[in-house]
Amino acid sequence: MTVVLTPEMVGQVLISGVLSGALYAMVALGLALIYGVMRVINIAHGPMLMLGAYVTFFLYSRTGMNPLLTVPVAMAALFVVGVVLQRTLVFRVVDAPELSSLLLTFGISIALVNLAQNAFTSDLRSVEYITGSWLIGNFALSKPRFIAFVFAAAMTGVAFLFLKATRLGKAIRATSQSREVAMVCGIDVARIHLLTFGLASALAAGGGALLAVIVAIQPEMGGVWTFKSFLVIVLGGAGNYPGALLGGLLLGLVEQLASLFLTTQLSEVVAYVLLVLVLLVRPTGLLGGRQT
Amino acid sequence: MNARRGWFLGALSLSVVVALAIYPAFGTGYGVRSTLQIFMWIALAGSWNLISGLTGYVSFGHVAFFGIGAYAGAILVTSAGWSWPTAALAGGVAAVLLALLIGYPCLRLKGPYFAIAMLGLNEVVRALVSYFEGLTGGGNGLSLPTADVTRSIYYVMGLLAVVIIAGTYLIITSRFGLRLMTIREDEVAAEAMGIDTFHHKLAAFLLSAVGPGVAGALTARDQGYIEPISVFPLAVTVTMIVMVLFGGKGTVWGPVLGAVALFVIQELVWAHYPYVHPLLFGAIIVAVVLLMPRGVLGLLQLKYHLPRTI
Amino acid sequence: MTFKALGSLVLAVAVAMLSMPADAQGPIRIGASLSLTGTYAKLGKNQHEGYQLCIKDLNAKGGLLGRKAELVMYDDQSLPATAVRLYEKLITEDKVDAVMGPYSSPVSEAAANVTEKYKKVMVAPLAATTSIFKKGRKYIFMVITPAEAYLEGLIDMAAKRGLKTVAVINEDTLFSKAAASGAVELAKKKGMQVVYQEAYPKGNTDFSALLTKVRAANPDVIAAGTYFDDAVALTRQMKELNVNPKMYGVTVGGDLPEFYDVLKQNAEFIYGATQWEHTLPYPGNQEFFDAYKKEFNHEPSYHSAAGYAGCTIYAEAVKRAGSLDADRVREQLLKLETKTIFGEYKVDQDGFQTAHKMVTFQWQGEKKITVWPDDLAQAKPRFPTPPWNQR
Repeated sequence: MTVVLTPEMVGQVLISGVLSGALYAMVALGLALIYGVMRVINIAHGPMLMLGAYVTFFLYSRTGMNPLLTVPVAMAALFVVGVVLQRTLVFRVVDAPELSSLLLTFGISIALVNLAQNAFTSDLRSVEYITGSWLIGNFALSKPRFIAFVFAAAMTGVAFLFLKATRLGKAIRATSQSREVAMVCGIDVARIHLLTFGLASALAAGGGALLAVIVAIQPEMGGVWTFKSFLVIVLGGAGNYPGALLGGLLLGLVEQLASLFLTTQLSEVVAYVLLVLVLLVRPTGLLGGRQT
Repeated sequence: MNARRGWFLGALSLSVVVALAIYPAFGTGYGVRSTLQIFMWIALAGSWNLISGLTGYVSFGHVAFFGIGAYAGAILVTSAGWSWPTAALAGGVAAVLLALLIGYPCLRLKGPYFAIAMLGLNEVVRALVSYFEGLTGGGNGLSLPTADVTRSIYYVMGLLAVVIIAGTYLIITSRFGLRLMTIREDEVAAEAMGIDTFHHKLAAFLLSAVGPGVAGALTARDQGYIEPISVFPLAVTVTMIVMVLFGGKGTVWGPVLGAVALFVIQELVWAHYPYVHPLLFGAIIVAVVLLMPRGVLGLLQLKYHLPRTI
Repeated sequence: MTFKALGSLVLAVAVAMLSMPADAQGPIRIGASLSLTGTYAKLGKNQHEGYQLCIKDLNAKGGLLGRKAELVMYDDQSLPATAVRLYEKLITEDKVDAVMGPYSSPVSEAAANVTEKYKKVMVAPLAATTSIFKKGRKYIFMVITPAEAYLEGLIDMAAKRGLKTVAVINEDTLFSKAAASGAVELAKKKGMQVVYQEAYPKGNTDFSALLTKVRAANPDVIAAGTYFDDAVALTRQMKELNVNPKMYGVTVGGDLPEFYDVLKQNAEFIYGATQWEHTLPYPGNQEFFDAYKKEFNHEPSYHSAAGYAGCTIYAEAVKRAGSLDADRVREQLLKLETKTIFGEYKVDQDGFQTAHKMVTFQWQGEKKITVWPDDLAQAKPRFPTPPWNQR
């Protein structure tokens, strides 16, 4: 039984695509930073998101704090966790062959998930905050997803401003481009690495905190996000920061449109096929990215 | 290598082979199944070693070949009534075809792009298998007619493992293998030397798909039931990678050593720590990566100047 | 006798003693693999607790065949392949006296191949898929109502109220697909029209496209074969997209207290199906509920109850057979007709459950109120479900 598709339906779905795209972009930006600055492929990105979601959940359920206020708390907490991870483990595989970073971060990732399973149990949680949607003409704008969108867009915007305009941000970009030259210019590269990993983890945690009001929280929720973040940055160009934005939005839109015109099951396939097509034409992603 | 050492190693290998061959006669069902699993891991790790150990191209979705082999084999046995040995070979063929299809676009990619593309491949093949449920049973999984053939599969899987290791030895000692390793060390220089890197990589990639394809079909027959999530898990890819890394990437016996050692460690950890075994496994991976990235044999090779063909 | 001869004699006796079947009068060891980690971790744990409580109660009443019972348990990580190895281990290495089933249909299906091979009776309390029991297996026994019947109450009530159109959506996994196909078949039998049907991948979190299409099809009833997280996401997005069927029912997950905790009043009017509720008038039900709560500090779910019941059913069969011999126990299980804390038990010659009934409930005023079948209903359903903007 097929349903006739109207332009309205397409419009509705485009809205959903943009909303989810912003979240993808925000989380993927973190991953892009880690790869760009340190050439590390971070599989443990998903667990950062998951931990951020749990921070929100526990703050909300134990203290009744407004979930939106928990977002900066989650980000700050995971910033610290990220810095610690970098300082103890990840710094050893900076610049190592990608296999080492893939495996190391994979090991960290399953350890974190298991810790979460034991500490929080696998019970599904969620935060009930705002439900329903605003009606704009014939289109429904999901309240929780729109709020997440606004936050994500704002956070991503702030991150970009930081990268572009502040000294630290410029230092990060310089290290991205050439570590040796950055060192010669007097940039403390080790500190930049710490900062980058922390920042990326904070971005992921922010995404998780925002997701806590939308989806069910459980220890393994991060895996899918890691995978999609990778899709996004490869699509946009690994190490290219605006590429992460473009890739995120594109992924969100493609997924929703494919779900509408085909089926939800096939949308995963479509996203990947898109990726392969893009890579065929531009082997380093849409916005050029960097040659490794 | 002096003659006495040669004889000793030869006698040792022969006794191991004989012991493994007669084991099913007096081992428990669990023991036979576990050894069968070890053979499977040797085949998987050894195959991964062919592409990633030799050319340096990290295939992060290699389990896709295992999964496609499993489904091809299972479908041929259930719907077309093929015998399982022929179906196993067909599984290998299916995997090679997939490798051909995906190798063409993906092997032109470098570094992380290739790794992520392969990861995506795995997810997509899984999604497609779920989608074509008329053929594959989709999320229901596929059940094979009951048959107690574990013993026979034990031998065939053992044979597969031997073939892969022997094949690795032949490749490493050949000019073809040398060229692959040149690509690993410096692809640009290899091109400059006139090596057709693309076709060499493709050949290695195709060869590396055979083992998982056949192993997948055999495993499907042995388990009697497969479903998409269980034959395409990322954990299998990572395990085979860690096994190769542990034993020594790019060596002949590295995958064997890694497979045996890690399997045994996993079983022990599992049996005694039901709630935290993923944590421990993660810790092991971290330890292997940080402390012995060249693997056991890699270290020994360096220290004792062992031959490349170890 | 020389010292050497004496020594050999002692050695021979020692070896003879050691190689005698250990525990000739020791505890009866019952083995199982359960999902303690992985996708099914929460529910597997509940089933485990059900088994544990059953063994505890058995031992308090004098044990099984006069011997203490003991549970030997491994974690199969929710993976069928792992369960296969573990059951082999339990049977051939640990040499347990009996086995009980794992959690979930896929895992039970895989494990069944092993138990059939070694001809060991396995009561599989959480296997819900019909196909497992229709393959000519002789040693496997079902306790719960099959998956296909989960949405039966919803469809039946809909048809009785003259509703005509239904949309069926489900997660693309074994159990949910069975629930969905059961719903479709029943709807067609009752003369209803299936206006939309789609399966979504496990782990999907954004249903907007799917629900947009469902809304366009304008069904009277939405029947969803779900687990927990998708049930929550679907409900929230239905509210956001203003999808207003007259009846909306889910399967697994809708019965968990967390469902209401998470959705609050958005859970009102939603129908769910459950194999068991602690309020049902089954023998020993209330005592079980209290004992479980005391022991484990949380309420049992139906998985706990099924585990407990499955184990007591097995014990009852062993008692009647007077031995652990598989064929004798099997004979008893095939004949047995009983009512446990979980409800009725009776199987056909394939071991397929024929007597147990599912109930359909509706969330009304923060409580789950049983509304179907009529002989077990506590109240009438609140029908029709009012549109979101009128609540």
